[in-house]
Amino acid sequence: MAYAVFQIVSDNWLLLLVGQYPNGPLGGIAATLLLSLLGIGLAFPFSVLVALARLSSWRVLRWPATGLVYTMRGIPLLMIIFWVYFLVPLAIGQTVPGFVTMLCTLVIYEAVFLSEVVRAGIKALPKGQMDAARALGHSHLGAMRFVILPQALYNMLPSIVSQFVSTIQETTLGYVINVPELTFAANQINNQLLTRPFEVFFILAVIYFSVCWSLTQLANRLERRIAAKRAGGLAAMPKQMTARQAPAAIEPPAREASP
Amino acid sequence: MIKFSHVNKFYGDYPALVDIDAEVKRGEVVVVCGPSGSGKSTLIRTVNRLEEIQSGELFFDGRNVHAKMSGTNLNRLRSHIGFVFQNFNLFPHLSVLDNITLSPIRINGVGRKDARDKAMALLERVGLTSKALAYPAQLSGGQQQRVAIARALAMEPPAMLFDEPTSALDPEMVGEVLTVMRSLANDGMTMMCVTHEMGFARDVADCVWFMDAGQIIETAEPAKFFRKPEHPRAQRFLSDLRGH
Repeated sequence: MAYAVFQIVSDNWLLLLVGQYPNGPLGGIAATLLLSLLGIGLAFPFSVLVALARLSSWRVLRWPATGLVYTMRGIPLLMIIFWVYFLVPLAIGQTVPGFVTMLCTLVIYEAVFLSEVVRAGIKALPKGQMDAARALGHSHLGAMRFVILPQALYNMLPSIVSQFVSTIQETTLGYVINVPELTFAANQINNQLLTRPFEVFFILAVIYFSVCWSLTQLANRLERRIAAKRAGGLAAMPKQMTARQAPAAIEPPAREASP
Repeated sequence: MIKFSHVNKFYGDYPALVDIDAEVKRGEVVVVCGPSGSGKSTLIRTVNRLEEIQSGELFFDGRNVHAKMSGTNLNRLRSHIGFVFQNFNLFPHLSVLDNITLSPIRINGVGRKDARDKAMALLERVGLTSKALAYPAQLSGGQQQRVAIARALAMEPPAMLFDEPTSALDPEMVGEVLTVMRSLANDGMTMMCVTHEMGFARDVADCVWFMDAGQIIETAEPAKFFRKPEHPRAQRFLSDLRGH
């Protein structure tokens, strides 16, 4: 069996890596990663907006944003894919490539989930941070931009990476609308070979696992680094704001900028 | 400078501030004291409208703070009121220097270079020039509070409010913060301080307001207040303070 796996990989590595590209659309791992990266990258600014809207004191912003989040969280991703796949072409009157359909769906879906991460990050900050910014004369949005979001997003980096890992796994659903990504490529191989489904899907599982596992490790490392910095440096947590816990005798870090 | 006129505030049915009628004159240092829960912090937080009031009027430098106004105007008004918090509330993701220059640059449109020069001058005043590039978590509580004072001063406010500025500090760090506050008072800054530091009140304050249950029940010069308070509640408060 080990030999069969090796044989399949060595025969099809290019298909698994980039799909039919350059003779056809980009596929394989490249498409999966591109889809995930674009998905989370485009979702990110929306997620910040949705989070701000959910925390807004204005109902006009808060209610629709909350409604959107509750709706999206209550619907399976596959359903949303079907909705976009069948309805968007009707709405705009022309066909849409599968890749774009999947990307739009991911952006909507991930924006909602990420917005909850961002919102949690904002709410976890001590209230005094907002008070201090407002007392200095910053507007609500100014305080968010210069004081709250830089801290909240930094603290939430590990969760954002985790969300990226989920997104990679969600791209497999693109298979049902023929998006040429990694699962699609594996299925093509399986259809050619016919007799080796176990080996083919074993390879597929190993690839997904190694990509996601490396990213999870990255998230863990980030988490440790942030924890270390909080203890002695950059982003202090509310508890460390008290005098008792702040180390008194640490010299400032050497930096190039001079006052 | 700061004038309360029949100010009332409720949390639901609970009266937090009751018919506050008092004034801090320009150049005056007023110390607000009283038992915990008496409304001192609430009172000082109404001055820059971190807390809303239900009735009455409050003037800062001739402007009605709790009048209906646009967010922009309220922000501008707040930028003229220096406020120092019990928990310092420095921005942990910014260096000491950036903590101080953020608001002058972003709100007043001061140039980066000018803002830095100003910040360094203020750090010199609070004795922390060597910490300009440090981050808040690397400073002691007393140092953080001195930076917070410098940060508030960077907006060049005509008056400073202090909400229990030394209550979160270890005892040996209280002195350095009070020294900075004393020098501010000596320079003629209008100050309203919620504090339990009776030595500071005795030496620096022009007037002491004693609060209980949301009311200012005694207003007196510190010499008189500490020697012979009139109100029995104030007498009990002072004897409790001295008792240990």
